[in-house]
Amino acid sequence: MKKIFFASIIAFTSTIINAQYSNMTMPQALYGTTFNLNIHESTKQLVTGNQTITGSINNETFWGPTLFINKGDLVHMNVTNNLNESTTVHWHGMHLPAVMDGGPHQVIPAGTLWQPYWTVMNQAATLWYHPHLHTTTQAQMTKGIGGFIIVKDPAETALTLPRTYGVDDIVLALTSRSYNTTTNTFVSPPTSARVYGDYMLSNGTPNAQYTLPKQFVRMRILNAEIERGYNLGFSDNRTFYVIGTDGGLLGAPVAVTRLPIHVGERYEIMVNLGNDVVGSSIDLKAYNSGQSQSFPGGEPGTTGVFGSLLNNIDFPVLHINVGATTTSTTPITALPSSLISNTYWTASDATVNRTVSITNGTPGPASVPFNFDNVSYAEATINKTVNLNAIEKWNIANTNPAVFGHSFHLHDIEFKIVSRNTGTAAAYESGWKDTFFISKNETVSFVGKFDDFADSDVTHPYMYHCHFGGHEDGGMMGQFIVTGTMGINENESNTSFSLYPNPSSNLLYVNLKDANTEIYYVTISTITGRVVMMLPQPEWQNGIDISSLESGVYTFQMMDKQTKSLTTRKFIKK
Amino acid sequence: MKKHFFKFIIFSILLVLCSFNLIVKDKFVSDFKLKNATTNKWTSLSDYKNAKGFIIIFTCNKCPMAKFYSQRLNQMSDKYKTVGIPLIAINSMDTLAYAEESFKKMQNKVKTDKLNFPYLQDKKQVVGKNFKASVTPQAYVIWKKNNKFVIKYEGSIDDNAGDYQNVKNHFLTDAVDQLLYGKEVSVKNSEPFGCRIFYRGIIDKMK
Repeated sequence: MKKIFFASIIAFTSTIINAQYSNMTMPQALYGTTFNLNIHESTKQLVTGNQTITGSINNETFWGPTLFINKGDLVHMNVTNNLNESTTVHWHGMHLPAVMDGGPHQVIPAGTLWQPYWTVMNQAATLWYHPHLHTTTQAQMTKGIGGFIIVKDPAETALTLPRTYGVDDIVLALTSRSYNTTTNTFVSPPTSARVYGDYMLSNGTPNAQYTLPKQFVRMRILNAEIERGYNLGFSDNRTFYVIGTDGGLLGAPVAVTRLPIHVGERYEIMVNLGNDVVGSSIDLKAYNSGQSQSFPGGEPGTTGVFGSLLNNIDFPVLHINVGATTTSTTPITALPSSLISNTYWTASDATVNRTVSITNGTPGPASVPFNFDNVSYAEATINKTVNLNAIEKWNIANTNPAVFGHSFHLHDIEFKIVSRNTGTAAAYESGWKDTFFISKNETVSFVGKFDDFADSDVTHPYMYHCHFGGHEDGGMMGQFIVTGTMGINENESNTSFSLYPNPSSNLLYVNLKDANTEIYYVTISTITGRVVMMLPQPEWQNGIDISSLESGVYTFQMMDKQTKSLTTRKFIKK
Repeated sequence: MKKHFFKFIIFSILLVLCSFNLIVKDKFVSDFKLKNATTNKWTSLSDYKNAKGFIIIFTCNKCPMAKFYSQRLNQMSDKYKTVGIPLIAINSMDTLAYAEESFKKMQNKVKTDKLNFPYLQDKKQVVGKNFKASVTPQAYVIWKKNNKFVIKYEGSIDDNAGDYQNVKNHFLTDAVDQLLYGKEVSVKNSEPFGCRIFYRGIIDKMK
């Protein structure tokens, strides 16, 4: 009797303890080769009282679905912007043509359908997608717009790794938010420049808990923050294993007890829950106390632009409840001793050596926001031109004079960090990377090959930038184009064309007067000038699908690849 | 004594400054004539000869915050039109940029939500700018004063969009009730929340 009473007390207490946690959202998984992404405003109960207005994709109320794609597949994205403002969607870490990249130049106006597509060339990796509209990135990221992309390939599939999504293989997007007290809206630009949230959100869930099986589990962790870094570790200081970096799996797991992850970075980790008791729990925590002042979120204050209740303290990011070992899928009980074979570039492979200096950002009334080489981002300025297939070494110097740490991201390719002047690069960051942290007074060098995609298109360049929302919005961004050696066609092509059938109800065909004309970009607008469809390098030979348009008169603007000149025709949608 | 007199003078000056300040603070809005999706006719404030004032709600078709309020607005409209305070909803979203806010789709919303109040389209965004409306929904109480309209309350409708049962502050109806009883509005402002209204030509993001 006494025993039962005692047990019920324990059960009651644990209910109370669990009551402080919410079950973490696992974003819906989408599979296939065609993905429909509807970006819209939404609401979510994040704090007591009023719901918070958020931004999300498809059925999520914060964040978006996880897209599973296979290396070698041709994938088509139907991105509809149902926000009431313009946005862009960047495929972070994806190796694809610049015109499909979704940088600040690929503005998707409100209500417009954007249809990029590409053949997946990345190896198995955890990538992500997010808005990248210049000066608006922080506000739109704060709303919660974004999502994971999981690339699969045969080399990864051949390994004995956890890969049942949501069961022993989870995604974990880490971020934090502050709320306006009377309305529960997010503290965000344009009304506030605060960069560190007061409350943790894991996959958009406050005080998140998740049940993981008693075996080896895999976590694909993304720092989806505006600025904060996370020095991750488990509450019992157990060893865990980094198996993948931004661009894919490592050669072999790297054992760690702490793992710093900064804005835009992804790490795949494995942790053994096989020795835990079913029903027990363990916290994944940010051990952020006592970091240096150039560690974002290491600042001492709780108020002001750089203040936060989570600054300079240790706090949980995920409460893990250990559940029963899986029976429907074979549990993973061992860590592979080796993963995949990667051939990395070395410093001696590089034929071009560039230095990019982090400049300005000194606080003060006359200050210029952070930028590169004393030049703030300008839409029409191409800062670097890279030759196709060049292997280049970029040295990012935060010494001029150093003010703070940054998270540097390069579009187009995955690269290898070859040196940090403050010491060697850590073993856990020794794989393919596209984003890395650079602390105060540090110079980081990486080597990468700019292969496959060359286009001297200055209207659709690739970006390099600090991934802190406020920093990139403030102008800490540059752009580069990759140029090929293909011959320039001396003949001025005739870009005239006609459309048929006209009127049309489903498929619209293009009849080019000069067969050598290459269609680079098609923009379809209503007669009042509202853009409704954006088609980078459309597969026009099979007809352009206009079935989603309402009846009416439209303009069809074609940009030709050679001259980037614009030619316009009208058509009627039946 | 002299000291006290001096204090009195200062106090009087402050009092005058304060009351002057109050007069300056009075914000007026002008009448408008907009197409009404509920009746398919033109509607203006002057149509309501006997109105003491109006509840003006800036709202739109697809903002999830605005969607929460259709029922509540119907109830408010029913309650207050009988005492001379009609409720009028205005959509100031940029229809050129955003097809979802078209007049036709406003008419659809009137039908599906059974709206019992005028739902006007501010196609040129003039009225929204005049009120300085920034989000949807955003509520105003305007009161007739010498044939002009003074803003007596501006802000959110209440403090809980998703859960009517747990509203703690009924900002809008409290303001209307106080005015009906001839009192000053105790809470004149609250922070509105919802989807931003982008004004064409002001923020160059609607490319």
